[in-house]
Order: sequence, then structure tokens, then C-alpha cells
Amino acid sequence: MDIITGILATAVLAGGVLALAALGEVLAERVGVFNLGVEGLMALGGVTGIIAVTIIPNPFFGFAMALVVGLVFGAIFALATVTFRANQVLCGLALTMLGSGLAVTVGKPYSGMPAKAQFDKVIIPYLSDLPILGRALFSQNILVYLIYLIIPAVISFVLFRTRHGMNVRAVGENPAAADSAGIPVTLIRFTYVTIGAALGAGAGAYLTLAFVPSWSDGVVAGRGWIAVALVIFAGYRPFWAVFGALLFGVITALGFVGQARNWPIAPPFLSMLPYLGTIAAMILPVFVWKRLRLSFTAPAGLGIPYFRDER
Amino acid sequence: MALHFVRSPVVSSARALTARVIGFVLALGLGALVLGIAGFDSLHLGRQIIVKSLGSQFGLEDLGLLYTPLLLTGLAVTVMARMGLWNIGADGQFYLGAFVTTAIGLFIKGPEPFMLVLMFFAGAAGGALWILVPTLAKAYAKVDEIITTLLLNFVALLLVYYVATGPWRDRVSGTTASTGRVPYKMPDFFGSLHWGFVIALAAPILFALALRYTKWGYEVRLSGANPDAAHYAGIPVRRRLITIMLLSGAIAGIAGMLEVAGTVHRLQGGISNNYGYLGVMVAVLARGSALGVIAGAFLMALILNAGIILQTQGLTTSAVLALTGLIMLFTAIADQFAHYRLVRPRAATA
Repeated sequence: MDIITGILATAVLAGGVLALAALGEVLAERVGVFNLGVEGLMALGGVTGIIAVTIIPNPFFGFAMALVVGLVFGAIFALATVTFRANQVLCGLALTMLGSGLAVTVGKPYSGMPAKAQFDKVIIPYLSDLPILGRALFSQNILVYLIYLIIPAVISFVLFRTRHGMNVRAVGENPAAADSAGIPVTLIRFTYVTIGAALGAGAGAYLTLAFVPSWSDGVVAGRGWIAVALVIFAGYRPFWAVFGALLFGVITALGFVGQARNWPIAPPFLSMLPYLGTIAAMILPVFVWKRLRLSFTAPAGLGIPYFRDER
Repeated sequence: MALHFVRSPVVSSARALTARVIGFVLALGLGALVLGIAGFDSLHLGRQIIVKSLGSQFGLEDLGLLYTPLLLTGLAVTVMARMGLWNIGADGQFYLGAFVTTAIGLFIKGPEPFMLVLMFFAGAAGGALWILVPTLAKAYAKVDEIITTLLLNFVALLLVYYVATGPWRDRVSGTTASTGRVPYKMPDFFGSLHWGFVIALAAPILFALALRYTKWGYEVRLSGANPDAAHYAGIPVRRRLITIMLLSGAIAGIAGMLEVAGTVHRLQGGISNNYGYLGVMVAVLARGSALGVIAGAFLMALILNAGIILQTQGLTTSAVLALTGLIMLFTAIADQFAHYRLVRPRAATA
């Protein structure tokens, strides 16, 4: 029983990183912008969080500063891809290189030091006493509750239950039609890409302030890319993205448990599991649930810059 | 009405090049400004870079050693770009090429020329094998190749890290992070520059010729430009896609083979030196032209060499990666700006 609780608790904690980054990417892709810079944004957010708590030892301050840095770099990315309409794949890769390079350069003096402040566990009374699930689900840091429940609920509600959300989705599906209906395409794209980027950077701060908790060179380790893959796997739906992230949390947790219990598999092979699992998750559903994939297709306008004069 | 911008769908090469040069200079300027604020003497650094990389034979040899893998990884990405696909996994394919080469070099004995040929083809096969799953997933299930190729980079890195620190660890010199020395070596061509450089320089030319003058090349170009039309014309688009992706992987694998057999002579964790990711940058600079790779890779080699010189002045490789990202961002924006033209409308006639 203890081992299951342990795996679940780690899975929830580890999955939170992917979930928050994937939620940010859902926002960007829903308005039709493919942001491949998540990896770089996470690195920037992670290092910002660590530096901020070194100055003021409060995890909320660290997380907030990471969001601000995410907004700034998200605005730069949105300026390039939405306002200037530059190639999204290139700008995304550029943002990943710029962000990762900058974060490692700036973070050098902080590398390997434990975080000066980190998110504490918030134990929910009664629920946390439940057998097996209690400690795994209801004795986590506050961000976990935000990431798994509140943020996806807000995004789902706005996207699927409000008029504004319908406009937002229209911008991602068919920007030309949205434009002729009077919806401000550029403004909506710019706003959502920027907010999405802030969540990506927030995921980085979660990584360094709640999960690891410290900064080192390769700490992001491709999680940004796994988050991008998750969004496709989740069919661009917020709660599916969170659920997918939890699945990957389980895979990551299995790797940790394997190392701790000396399973006869070398640690590098256990570390490969999340990447191999992601690839499997991208390929298998196409064969298994063909019908499901139809309703899980990407927004029709994804990846295509919108030019009014070429309508 | 005031002045306004008009977008033209086609851009002349001269305009595109001008926009890029402006973008490149702006990115460098911004980088220099940031370095200046951080307390470095940017002008002095710039002079150091030019003198040290182009002013001596050692400098040129080092430049050539960086140029070689960039030519191949840049070509690998460009080959796939011709079909409208992105190979972001050249780093992983590079690692696999290096891995297979090292395996053969360490465990098989034979005459050197024969072994080098064997390692060459094995390296190519290793790279192609590493892109096999993304290829089949793309060809038969339309799974996005950007992410599948990219995620395999991490798997390849872990695999190489495992063998280099574990079973193949060097037991002679006692280093912990690399394998023993591979006894077969590419012959030298110019100073410490090996014949792999010539192979790497010939590869884009060969590919450009194949693309231009063979039926296969014509079919690839057509499939890339318009898959539906190509399919309608009876071209086996899927088969061309599979060969192009495997070829791309094989080229990146050869880059890894040459790095082991020509430059490093052993397998170690960081052997790819980000060449795969920088290859994407080279392909972007080359704008999908195989011959453009020769110029793009040279520029990238200069930047990378500049980075190595800057390291002796107290800057890190990550600063170079950041600068590369900045240049790429400005290039992407410049490519778009080249489409715009400032127009003064004629006075309205009543």
C-alpha cells in the first residue's frame, strides 16, 4: 500500500510541471499559434523563481516573478509570430535556444544550491486521511490544487461556456471568418499566446520551487517538449492535458521508485521512460481509437500566420 | 492617406538577403549591447574573434573541424525541409552514428581502410535507424515529426551517457565520462583537419545535383511543393517521404561517425555539441537550398568558433546558444519583413 501511495504522490507532484506547461500551450494552440519555445520558457521561469526567492525568500514571490518573465518573453514571441507573422516553428526554436541559453548563463551562480524558499504542503483536513489516495492527492503543495483543478476549470469554462471563448476558438479555427465577424484576431492571438507563455514559465518555477527544488543546468530536461506533445495527445482540451500529465507523472514516479529500490535496470534506461512513453502516446492512439482522434484534431488555423490582405 | 506598408507574396533574393543582413547585424548589436552592460569590451571581443579564427592556420583548422559536422547536420535538416518536414532530431541521430561507430571501433579488429568504410556505413545506418520510428509514424499515421524526432534526442543522449560512463568506460586512462580511444582514424587533409571535411563539403553538392538532375530528385521536389498534385501525377509520395527521412537520419549519423573517427576519437556524453540543433539554424539560413547549406554552415561555424574564443574570455557555451537563438529570431522576423514595402499612395483623383 505504501508503495502505491508513494508512486501516486510523486506522480501528482511530477505531473504538475507538465500539466501547467501543457495548459499554457493549450491556450496558445487554441488561438492557432504553435509555441515550440516552452522548453526555453520553463528554463527562464525556473531560474527566475530561484533568483527571486534568493532575494525575498517567499515562494509566491518567486512564482509571480516567473510569471512576469514569462509574460515578457511571451510578448516578444507574440510580437514576432502574431504581429510580425514570422514563421512559428523557427521563432519557437529560437525562443527555446534563447531561453535555455540565457537561463543557464544567468543561473550559473545559483546552480546546485537548494531553493531558499519552497512551496509547503497544504494538508486538507479529513480528505488527507483517506486510505491510499489521501496522502497522494490531498497533502500536496498549493500549486498542485491550482494546476489540477482551478486553472483547467477556468480555462474550460472560458473556452467552452462563454461567448468570448467561442470567439477565441474561432480565431484558432478560422481567423479569416473570425475577422470578418468583427473579432479582433491579432489582439486575441497576442493575449492568449502571452498568457500561455506565462504559464509555461510558471511551470519552470514550479519545477525549481516545488518539485526538485533547486536549479541546475539540465533541470528542465525536455519537459517543455513533452508538454507540447501532451497537448496533441490531449486533443487541445484542458482537463485531458492535466490527465495526460498525471499519466506521465506516474511514468516518472516509476523511474524514481525503480532507482530507489535498486531494480535491475540501469538508471539511464529508467530516465528514458517519459520520452519513450510520450512517443508511444503520440503513435498508439492513432491506431487504437481512430474515432476518438477525429474529434481530437488540431485547430484548423494552427501554425498558419493570418494575413488579412491574403484572405 | 499617409505612407503604408504593402505585402508582396514573392520576394527577390536581393531583398531577402538585405533584410537578413540587417536582422543579423541587429541581433549581434543587441548581443554586444547586453555583453557591454555585463561589463565585457564587445569591440575587443569582436576583434579577437576575427583575428583568432581567420588569422592563423590553427584558427582555420579549428574552424574546419566545427564546419564539418555543421555541414552535415545542416544538410540533414535541409533534406527533410525539401519535403516540408522538420528534423529536430539530428542531435539524436548524430549520437547514434557516433555510438555505432564507437561500438565497431572498440570491438572489431581489421585493416584501417576497411574499418573506416565499415564505420562510415554503420554510422549512416545508425542515424537512419534512429529516425525509423518517427518516419513510419509520419508516413502511416501522420504523427507530427517535430516532436517524435526531438524526444528521441533525449533517449540517445541517455544511451550514450550510459555506455560512456558504464560498460564502455575507459579503463586505461581512468577518465569516468568517456569510452576508450577508437583505434581507427580518418587520415588528415590539412593540418589537423581530416578528410571528413571533404566528404561533408561534397555531400550538399551531391544532394543538390541529385535533386536537380535525377528523376528521384524531381519527384522529391514535386512531392515537397504539392503532395496532392504529386500523388495525382502518380508519384509514390509516401515512399519518397520515407527515403527522404531515412536519408536525413543517415546524413546526421555520418556527421556523428566523422566526429568520432576524425575529431574526438572516443565517445562521450557531450559529443554532439548541439550540432543537431545548430543544424536547424543552418537549414534556416540556407532557406531550403542544399548549396545554401555550405554558406549557412560556414556562418554558424564562425559563430560557434567565436563562442569557443569567448569562453577563454569568461563567457559560457550557453551564452553562445542564447546568441544563436537571438540571431534565429531576428532572421525569422527579417524573412517576414522582406515581404513588406513602404508605399506612398498616388494623390487621390477626384
